[in-house]
Amino acid sequence: MIEAHHLSKLYSRGVYALRDLSLIIDKGEFLFLTGPSGAGKSTLLRLLLREELPSEGDLKVAGRNLKLLSPSQTQSYRRTVGFVFQDFRLIPRFTVFQNVAFVMKVLGVDVAVQQRKTFQALKWVGLQHRMNAYPEELSGGEQQRIAIARALVNEPQIVLADEPTGNLDPDLSLEIMNLFREINARGTTVVVATHDRDLIRRVGRRTLTLDQGRIVEVA
Amino acid sequence: MRALRYAFDEAVVSLWRGRRAGILSTVTIAVALFVLGAFLIATSNLEQLGDEWGRSAEMSVYLADDASAEHRQAVEALLAPGPIVAGHQFVSKDEALQRFKATFADLAGAVDTVDGNPLPASYEVRLEAAPGAKDAIAELAAQLEHTPGVSDVRYDRQWLDRLLSAVTLVRRIGLLLGAFLTIAAALTVANVVRLALWARRDEIEIMHLVGAPQTFIRGPFVMEGVLQGGIGALLALAALALAFLAVRGRYLVPLAEALNLSGIRFLAPELCLLLVAGGTVVGCLGGLVAARTRA
Repeated sequence: MIEAHHLSKLYSRGVYALRDLSLIIDKGEFLFLTGPSGAGKSTLLRLLLREELPSEGDLKVAGRNLKLLSPSQTQSYRRTVGFVFQDFRLIPRFTVFQNVAFVMKVLGVDVAVQQRKTFQALKWVGLQHRMNAYPEELSGGEQQRIAIARALVNEPQIVLADEPTGNLDPDLSLEIMNLFREINARGTTVVVATHDRDLIRRVGRRTLTLDQGRIVEVA
Repeated sequence: MRALRYAFDEAVVSLWRGRRAGILSTVTIAVALFVLGAFLIATSNLEQLGDEWGRSAEMSVYLADDASAEHRQAVEALLAPGPIVAGHQFVSKDEALQRFKATFADLAGAVDTVDGNPLPASYEVRLEAAPGAKDAIAELAAQLEHTPGVSDVRYDRQWLDRLLSAVTLVRRIGLLLGAFLTIAAALTVANVVRLALWARRDEIEIMHLVGAPQTFIRGPFVMEGVLQGGIGALLALAALALAFLAVRGRYLVPLAEALNLSGIRFLAPELCLLLVAGGTVVGCLGGLVAARTRA
């Protein structure tokens, strides 16, 4: 599903965020990326979202070389990827329902389909009863569940999560991880970047440890 | 169609949310188009004035007493109606004498004391007063002066030249000022749209990440510019119409009478449409520039 060959990312100030990284993530796999701050976890996710391009090497997702995508191919690629961030990135002016439906609205999906799928996604994360609330009225855990519902509503092939439990307490973190496990159980490839070793141990999935842009451990 | 509907709905919401800045750019466009429209009204009426005066403008071509029928034919060929000449009339020596006697009855006796008829036959030529006709008229006069059988050409063109120059000058000033204000209006729209883009940067980020098409990302901001431009142009047109009606009876009608003008006209319907289309295009460009650089 995801293949990286001698992948490097060099920033203009001469610092390598990723260096000669090669890896394969199978379709339907659940993978943790861990390591200290600055190890390159978020950079790899940004490359997978095609927010940035590799400096060297190749990164392929479902056979598509992300380096070679045209702007319109990038758009269609991104429609197959869901993302979840540490800071949730919900739109404060929108209700919970509008936040989730927004993803489909801007892709021109029919209104009836938008409503049906949004309700299903909210029901799946257990927050259908809060659909008219605004993000600021929700707890951190609830906000992250909304962000997960938003990531899932388009039925992506891959879900990328960057420190999704970074702002949550341990119990809520496990609850969020259980949601990711359920997403994965449906056949979706999940890549989660986290520095929470305890959480990784409790979930127990393949883990790549990065340090200074290189893979230092596979467990 | 769905993208257009989305762009329109979002633009209306965004305009309402940022209505203070939106009013600023809409008024800027309205002011620019008001000035442009006022100059267009002025120049179109001056053109009409030139046209009407031009129709009554005359050139007199005096013939020598020994001018032959061939000479007259050559003169008439030059005076054939066209872009410069509206028409001409031949005044024979006898007709000229009769007119003189009718106009200057006191001097009629004095003319009778002279042997024969001292007045020459002539052509009275009505001229067109199209802008840019000045040189062509001068050329025609020169040609006529060198035509055999012509003794003199009289054409007091100074006033017509001045009018034509004034029309050209007023139009240039109007276009220059209009262009300057229009650029300022487009920049204002661009800045107001940039403010809207900044206010909605979180939405734009999500849109990029989910692979939304550019028509959905940039469309609302371009539409915002279009709406500001269109509304500004309609406001300008309404203000022009109100101002025109307000000063028409008191100043414009007496002015028209003083200038011997048949009437003062508002902008032609096609110019009104052009003004609204222009405002919309300016707004669209402002929105497009902002959206291309920021979204």
